[in-house]
Amino acid sequence: MMLSRIADSLFWMARYMERAEDTARILDVNYHMMIEESPHALRMRWDPLVAITGEQERFAAQCSEATPRNVFEFLAFSADNPSSIVQCITSVRENARTIRDRLSRELWEDINSLYHNVTRFNPEEEIAVGPHRFCNAIRFGSHSFHGVADDTLPHDEGWNFLQAGRALERAEMTARIVDVEYHKLVESPGTGDTAGNHQWMAVLKSVAAYEFYRRQYHVRIEPERVAELLVLHAQHPRSIRFNIATVQQSLRAISGSGPGFYADEAERLTGNLHATLVYDRIEDIFARGLHTFLDDVQKVCRSIGENIARTYFYYAVVA
Amino acid sequence: MQQAQIAEDDLFRDYDTGSFFDEMFAAPGQARPHYAKTFQELERLAPAQFQELRELADFSFLLQGITFTVYSDGRGTERLFPFDLVPRILPNSEWNVIERGLAQRVRALNLFLQDVYGQQRILKDRVVPRSLIYSCRHFCRQMIGVEVPRGIYTHVAGIDLVRDSKTGQYLVLEDNVRTPSGISYVLENRQVMTRTLPHAFQLHGVLPIDHYPAELCQILRMISPRGGDRPVMVLLTPGIHNSAYFEHTFLAQQMGIELVEGRDLVVDCDIVYMKTIHGLTRVDVIYRRIDDDFLDPLAFRADSILGIPGLMGAYRAGNVALANAVGNGVADDKAIYAYVPAFIRYYLGEDPVLSNVETWLCSKPEHLSYVLDHLPELVVKAVGESGGYGMLIGPSASLAAIDDFRERLRADPRNYIAQPVIGLSRCPAHDPRTGRMAGRHIDLRPYCLYDGDKVVIVPGGLTRVALKPGSLVVNSSQGGGSKDTWVLRGEV
Repeated sequence: MMLSRIADSLFWMARYMERAEDTARILDVNYHMMIEESPHALRMRWDPLVAITGEQERFAAQCSEATPRNVFEFLAFSADNPSSIVQCITSVRENARTIRDRLSRELWEDINSLYHNVTRFNPEEEIAVGPHRFCNAIRFGSHSFHGVADDTLPHDEGWNFLQAGRALERAEMTARIVDVEYHKLVESPGTGDTAGNHQWMAVLKSVAAYEFYRRQYHVRIEPERVAELLVLHAQHPRSIRFNIATVQQSLRAISGSGPGFYADEAERLTGNLHATLVYDRIEDIFARGLHTFLDDVQKVCRSIGENIARTYFYYAVVA
Repeated sequence: MQQAQIAEDDLFRDYDTGSFFDEMFAAPGQARPHYAKTFQELERLAPAQFQELRELADFSFLLQGITFTVYSDGRGTERLFPFDLVPRILPNSEWNVIERGLAQRVRALNLFLQDVYGQQRILKDRVVPRSLIYSCRHFCRQMIGVEVPRGIYTHVAGIDLVRDSKTGQYLVLEDNVRTPSGISYVLENRQVMTRTLPHAFQLHGVLPIDHYPAELCQILRMISPRGGDRPVMVLLTPGIHNSAYFEHTFLAQQMGIELVEGRDLVVDCDIVYMKTIHGLTRVDVIYRRIDDDFLDPLAFRADSILGIPGLMGAYRAGNVALANAVGNGVADDKAIYAYVPAFIRYYLGEDPVLSNVETWLCSKPEHLSYVLDHLPELVVKAVGESGGYGMLIGPSASLAAIDDFRERLRADPRNYIAQPVIGLSRCPAHDPRTGRMAGRHIDLRPYCLYDGDKVVIVPGGLTRVALKPGSLVVNSSQGGGSKDTWVLRGEV
């Protein structure tokens, strides 16, 4: 027996945690890339980061220029950016607070101390020393969150909502990362091979797939191969396919529907997308246009989210 | 030379018992027998060591998110409920008397509620004036003639006691039989205390208190209107912004019942359901921590968004049990309070074990004129308020405030009572500014559970302490803190 409101909070708690972690990863890796590069490339690097988080309009309204400082402040600390890391962690805790009777004591204390830890960081100081220390704390915090959740929560429906939230958020985020980076490469080929190479290395590092790529392909970094890994790989936990498979698994565990069947629109959309990711090859996707494909993935992810809410969280007003 | 060093480092240096009853010291430097061991323990600690322990305890509360919310800044900020590490200790014999007095009082209050919403014998026998009942804001006409499960109204009662420095006797200051809060602090204080000062517990036999959630859960199970072993029980909270939200989550978790908000519930054909991911599930028992006014917008305040439309209908139809019952506010009204000793005599035929504080009812003309003549020496309270709001403390009030209250008393005498200023007993508490111990005023709120047959009281309760020097107001909203409360197992 699980209250709809609680399922809703668990789902969003995981999404916000994932958003915080992904943003921290992107920020950290790109910042260190930047140190190695020329001032020209440096200016180019920073505004796509905002695009990856999907907050370009808000950023434009608040900052005149995409300086490293502005972008770091906006993505990490800004109280006016609901997707900033600090705001995400605050939302994780707010969601956790409304359901803390349902969480293990360990998980609540873990979330609570992460929140206190994160809010204790002084933005000015962190901007001065660079984002690594801060981003690391977020990454560890997210790992700790999932570790404690796995180890102390019953793996019941609530846990499945947690898994679905994390996987759906991550699938959408990976789609955006690949989309934005690929777009950049196509738009400005003048940056040259070395720069392009660096850029893709940064992408792989930001999703913890760099070493894995090396082992998998034994070749220099090629955009097609990177896209293949991040979109279609069956086992890498950051690939879109892996995460859509997780969403499917979690939704089936909740509804009880077996393979080949679906109980609701969210499951149908998930299954449909999963089939494409399993049976299409990367050349098929490039033939149709990577950008269009990734754009569709993001739309479907949003629609899955809406349908999960419609099926499980919201009640039509009775009487 | 060495002597001087010790004195310099003494937590109790300059401790002044003043003119008040001191819970720890019978005379300066001389601990009462039941405090002797604790005093020895504390005396061994240097101020810096004690400060360290204090920080350890504070950090533990912060980590667990044991906070309350204050709204004075418009944003709602979380604050730690200040915790003082010096325990409040009650000898067993003293507790026995308190326990007997509370059980008696709870029975009488429950009988009064049964009667006032039933046959109203007490009004017919003119023990309490009918006008006083019907003018009480919390008297609930919708409850007249409603049969509540097992006849229980006051499932949980928090009764505030103070010790009068003049006589050394305990007095009842007020009854709370609507939705008394604070028990979670009692249980958490104990947890933190056993971690921070483990040695102190080994020296004493301290009676355990952690059975409270199980006892409350047992009562909730008993009042389920449907049979069966596993009634669906929920704790209804106003939500995350309520100042007692931590307590709601804590109790729900400890009892293993669902924590719900009004929006999680729906009433159809006089049956209450909760909205789950697999559809509607019937609810049998609601431990509600929402005030009467907000429970059901159809029956009470129409602007309430916290409540559940139709809940009163389901309750009256007997399809759902509520704890505490609706309408209990008539029993803890501060004017009705003056009659509780009369209730005890009337319903139980016994003399009250615990006395009331002397009380003037401003609704009585002769009392009103006395009060108006003696305002600077009295405490005046609005009858329906709690949490230390709507109060005048004559001796420390400005002339303007006194004049203001004089006007209010004349305009609406039924709304006020007055009492003499009670010199509350004091207990040593750590003052972070000096790093030393200082005497601070305390009260005691034990929590009483009533199952229709027996009254169960977890030993001790919440000791609140006024941390501001000289202050008599112990409420957390007014700068109060709390202490762990120990009832000793045997005699010392």
